[in-house]
Amino acid sequence: MKLSPAATAAIGGTVILAALPLVLPPYYVGLMIPFYGYAIALLGFNLLFGYTGLLSFGHAMFLGVGAYGAAVMTGVLGFKSFELTLLAAVAASALIALPVGFLCVRYTGIFFGMLTLAFGMLFHSFLFKFYSVTGGDSGMRVARMNILGLGFDKYNKIEFLAGPFYYYCLALLLIAGLIMWRLVHSPFGLHLRALRDNARKAEYLGVHVHRCRLAAFVVSAMFGAVGGVILGFRVGLADPELVYWTQSGQLVFMAVLGGFTNFFGPVIGALSYILLQDQLQSLTEYWRFVLGAVLALIVIVFPEGISGIAVEFRRRLGGTRA
Amino acid sequence: MSAFANILAGGVFHAAVLFLVAAGLQLVFGVQKIVNLACGSFYALGAYFGVTFLTYAHQAGVSDWLILPELIVAGILLGFIGPPLERMLRTVYDRDESFQLLLTFAMVLMFQDVFKFVWGANPRSLDSAYLVYGTIRAGDFSIPVYNLLVILAAIGVAAGLGAFLQRTNYGRILRATAENRGMAEALGVDVRRIYATVFTLGAVLGTTAGALVVPTAAASLDMAVEFVVEAFAVVVIGGLGSMRGALAGALIVGLIRALSIVFFPEVEVLAIYMIVIGVLLLRPAGLFGKAAA
Amino acid sequence: MTPLLETRGLGKAYGPFRALENVTMTVNEQELVSVVGPNGAGKTTLVNLLTGLLKPSEGEVRFMGADIAGIGPVALAERGLARAFQLIQIFPKLTTAETIAAAVVSRQNKRWRLFSSLSADGEVNARVREVADIFGLTHRLDTVTAALSQGEKKLLDVASAFALDPKVILLDEPTSGVATADKHGIMQTLIAAAKQAGVKAIVLVEHDMDLVAAYSSRIIALSAGQVLADLPPDRFFSDPHLIETVIGKRRGH
Repeated sequence: MKLSPAATAAIGGTVILAALPLVLPPYYVGLMIPFYGYAIALLGFNLLFGYTGLLSFGHAMFLGVGAYGAAVMTGVLGFKSFELTLLAAVAASALIALPVGFLCVRYTGIFFGMLTLAFGMLFHSFLFKFYSVTGGDSGMRVARMNILGLGFDKYNKIEFLAGPFYYYCLALLLIAGLIMWRLVHSPFGLHLRALRDNARKAEYLGVHVHRCRLAAFVVSAMFGAVGGVILGFRVGLADPELVYWTQSGQLVFMAVLGGFTNFFGPVIGALSYILLQDQLQSLTEYWRFVLGAVLALIVIVFPEGISGIAVEFRRRLGGTRA
Repeated sequence: MSAFANILAGGVFHAAVLFLVAAGLQLVFGVQKIVNLACGSFYALGAYFGVTFLTYAHQAGVSDWLILPELIVAGILLGFIGPPLERMLRTVYDRDESFQLLLTFAMVLMFQDVFKFVWGANPRSLDSAYLVYGTIRAGDFSIPVYNLLVILAAIGVAAGLGAFLQRTNYGRILRATAENRGMAEALGVDVRRIYATVFTLGAVLGTTAGALVVPTAAASLDMAVEFVVEAFAVVVIGGLGSMRGALAGALIVGLIRALSIVFFPEVEVLAIYMIVIGVLLLRPAGLFGKAAA
Repeated sequence: MTPLLETRGLGKAYGPFRALENVTMTVNEQELVSVVGPNGAGKTTLVNLLTGLLKPSEGEVRFMGADIAGIGPVALAERGLARAFQLIQIFPKLTTAETIAAAVVSRQNKRWRLFSSLSADGEVNARVREVADIFGLTHRLDTVTAALSQGEKKLLDVASAFALDPKVILLDEPTSGVATADKHGIMQTLIAAAKQAGVKAIVLVEHDMDLVAAYSSRIIALSAGQVLADLPPDRFFSDPHLIETVIGKRRGH
């Protein structure tokens, strides 16, 4: 059975990811949990950016909804089920994304970027102002949860994260990826891409531009919340800095690094960014500078990101074979 | 009552500084259609350099009376960063807006570590040498003369920029290029030179504003990223690309901040975001801007 | 019989400037109505009013009996009125097939299918092929539209409008930018395609009077925002005063 390149990449990637805990030291495996969180959030982000053409500078707020949602569910409400927390976070983000998105998607380009930045910072200031509930600067604690009803009490946190939870996150990523794949290859996905390329013509072909954009916004928010739950759980803390506008900028960075024109780009971007940041941090105290330079390089020279380079490489390889 | 007046005076001072940065933003957006996320970094750069410049000047025995002009000079000296940064931005002019935003974001990241490298992670401040100018008092109301001078300087810049843009030939060329780049090019305008000049001017406005602020506030790493949001608020409220908008927006943001500290302390920063959102939704062109996307 | 498309006393003013005044016209089944006139006569404004982009300042515009003032392109497409543009409008990153499919998805009401695979949708794909065949674009189905030639882009623009199964289609200078030798060929393709697609009437905005003369059932001439004439071609072209106003002095060929 001949597999498409995408299927090959997905299967290959899954196998490699599944094998990692068996070959890598626990430190690196631990690094991978935030990767899963960001990867899922970025799949959602890229629906909005790569497929719908809307650049949000406030997307981190939905990661915040996920993390704080987890804190509320476990800390305040005492729920222990990860699945329930995920559901709650997804529902909360959808509820918030509906009015915010409704207001924002009437605009595109810079105005959309500024509006989303403003909403993101508004959320950030809410987290500080209501510090009695949210813990302000210190954040809110996210307690340990059961996955699939199992507590894995024998494992300490590090073992848990590098073992059962790792595979749980891998499964979540696969599910998220599958959902997103079907979304972008559906009739709805086609309408998104059409309105991205030429909103006016799309209208004349019967595309409900605003409604489609809003739907993409809400879906991306839901994915962001899932990512936020994973991130919050990993650290054990929901931190207001997760929501600052520079964090939203970091999300954009990851998407562009991996290549926002490709389905797998965001996932590659999440992985590359996390590994890059980790390596740089151990090499120099001025890792932000290097990251900034990398971003500038990508924007100027490789706008299609890593996946673009990979695709080009493959194309050239294919071309030299007679 | 005088407490109120003091707070208002603080608000106007803040507005003066905001105006300078916003004017720079507006110029760059108006002519080049670039939204510069690194405006806060220029501001911080001016602040840090201002501290260093003044410290050396003081050690070299320069009179404290010259603090104000020294800071202005410090700001202007930093203009040298304009051309190389503009050169970098030039590569993405013709591409999607997202790339411009991203490139300026890359600059923000790089600047953060430049600050850390040169000046360290701790905030830097001056002693209260600026009080050499004295303070004006009227009952319980007091305002340092320095602050007044800065406010006057900002007004001067506003008037100067206005006259420059409206009355001089170069100003007309700038406005023409802003209006229609292709047309300007066709008429023989060296658009590249204009872009480099405008960007540098915008940078200088930002760095000078930062320099002018250091006597009253410390230069810190957070400055760069926090200021961006306020500067954007000013520009959005006033209307993208409009100088009058920069003035009006700066006053509104400066005063609202001052007032909400007094009356609604919980709401302080929230108030500004809500107004930004409100403006973007109800009147996206802002007070003085042209029709929005 | 209700006219498919009609306006009554339609007017549009921008401040003191009256772009259109008291325009009354109808488009009936099986008609090809051409709208002609010099630049600035109000053709674009009329087209924008007819396609629900603008709200009239006075009068009404009706499609199939229903008021369509300012309803916008999406609603209009759903009701069965399609428009092809003068300046080529494409989706640069989509293929020819995808462009047509976007319209087909709208027509088949599948726009909210979030999880079904588009490539596996036989109904959509069959219709896409059908439309592409009519316009001779079958061999370009998998080409990204940015790579198409100007002529092919033009055809695609119109083809995607046809894919909506409209009852009335408005063609805005469909042969502009096309070599004179090809113009008649294109017009004939369009008219044949319209018949095949079940389009009931065509509104044509054109500058090329040869085409207008050859294919119209009726010609509506606009001048300074008002209707100067509403006549079949033979009567239209036998009025020298009319011709002069609309085209300027006609030189012998």
